[in-house]
Amino acid sequence: MSTGIFDSVQHAFHFDSLVWHGPIALYLFLLGLSAGAAMLAVVLKRWILPRNNETLNNRASENGLIRATAIIAPASILLSLVILIQHLTMPLTFWRLIIYYNFTSVMSIGVMLLQLYSVVLALWMALLFRHELDQLIDRWMPGRIKNIYPRVMQSVAKFENTLEWLLLGIAISLGAYTGFLLAELKTYPLLNNPILPLLFFFSGLSSGVAGVMLLGVTVFKARLDAASTHWLHKLERPVILCEALALAALFSLLFYIGGRSEVAALAAIGGGFWSGVFWLGIVGLGLLTPLMLQTFTPAEARQRVSFVVLLTSCSLSGVLMLRYFILYAGQMTVY
Amino acid sequence: MSCSRRKFIASGCALVLGTGLANIPLVQSMTINGKRYAMLHDESKCIGCTACMDACRETNLVPEGVSRLEIIRSEPQGEYPDANYSFFRKSCQHCDNPPCVEVCPSGASFRDEETGIVDVNPDKCVGCQYCVAACPYQVRFIHPEKNTPDKCNFCRDTNLAQGKLPACVSACPTQALIFGDANDPASAISQQIATKPTYRNKVPLGTDPQLFRIADRNGDLPS
Repeated sequence: MSTGIFDSVQHAFHFDSLVWHGPIALYLFLLGLSAGAAMLAVVLKRWILPRNNETLNNRASENGLIRATAIIAPASILLSLVILIQHLTMPLTFWRLIIYYNFTSVMSIGVMLLQLYSVVLALWMALLFRHELDQLIDRWMPGRIKNIYPRVMQSVAKFENTLEWLLLGIAISLGAYTGFLLAELKTYPLLNNPILPLLFFFSGLSSGVAGVMLLGVTVFKARLDAASTHWLHKLERPVILCEALALAALFSLLFYIGGRSEVAALAAIGGGFWSGVFWLGIVGLGLLTPLMLQTFTPAEARQRVSFVVLLTSCSLSGVLMLRYFILYAGQMTVY
Repeated sequence: MSCSRRKFIASGCALVLGTGLANIPLVQSMTINGKRYAMLHDESKCIGCTACMDACRETNLVPEGVSRLEIIRSEPQGEYPDANYSFFRKSCQHCDNPPCVEVCPSGASFRDEETGIVDVNPDKCVGCQYCVAACPYQVRFIHPEKNTPDKCNFCRDTNLAQGKLPACVSACPTQALIFGDANDPASAISQQIATKPTYRNKVPLGTDPQLFRIADRNGDLPS
């Protein structure tokens, strides 16, 4: 019996039609997390914080949630790129992606987006933490840089509005990008469909909400009774519902198409290791548990940090499992 | 009304005649600079000896453990001593609309304009394996020594470059493989495709594969 289970797990991670392995699932997760956090960063700073007069001394960088986005967005994109490059068969040749382009390739468009994202995110963060940056430059940098620095910052500041809209646009595109990346693969019917980008967008946003919430209230001490925290808290349910809807749409579509698509859907959720991950991990832990906790927990209990940690951990692990599930179960069935 | 019934019927007939006279060939192949290499595997002649596989490995220095060309044998059909097998060639289809070329982020996977052959330029490749995943025929693999994707290229850099036929074609003892220019109506492959009932694999995906097959006469039912 135990060897049976061992075999089925072995088989779930090693099969002939598998090309992209586990690290790619992690890359997809981190990229979605970064894009989700960046979207929230812009929305929080532009609309939520000013509306509730939460910006101390007119500095959004003091807010715990904004600080969480400012850690999550750049850190997870950096980590995801390291993982991606590590996974190339020739990691040291990655620079070729920046030199050669192919406009029919989703991945090539993604490389362009990622470069633009890195620059815009860095500039936007420099403006956000301008006060802190001023002090750092003043303390550590040589005179020449000190002289140029204010002029550079002034010219960047002129484009703050444009940068914010640009960051929002790129983050939304990147959120859907990983879905398009897999949807382009004609080989695998479970992946080769238009719902996947939508699913990845919503689950990426869901992980962003959870990640920002978790880091914001634990490390950066964002107040649970603050209006911005309330807003983020309220966002969780509709985003999780959208994610569930996209997941339902994906499998309905596969069953409607029939043929190999139906075979792929059945192989994924109709039994075996990955169907266990789907029903218990993604649907049970990732979607239903947060929804139930949100709906049935008494109001006073919801104001505890431990509640937030529990809720966001469920969503985050659900999204992580979703990425592994889509990647592996998606590659199991070939046209 | 200026469009009388007579005029309508006349122009309708002209339209039908016009398209009929355009003589659309059965095999749509992209017109490239001259050649459009294609292959035909006559499964009714194939005896499954796998001499083609060995010749390919030897000519293109394909290491053990991976292969550019496989002959897949079916389950036995019928009872001994009347058992039969069907053979299926698994190798690059040199699609006119190749998904591997479409997805390649750096243009390392390409389709040679002069011959229609789909090939890999290792100097542009980063090894992302997007092409390996994108090929619906699953014929690409990572070459264990070169670390880049590899697959059949009709011996483009070996036999073909020396003016010889691809290794698998010349090794076949039953002449089950025909290779040639599908754009040349006089070539053997064009003649075969024009006169024999051929099929191609996974046509609904829109890849327009250029590996043609003639089905053998064994039934489809497993014994």
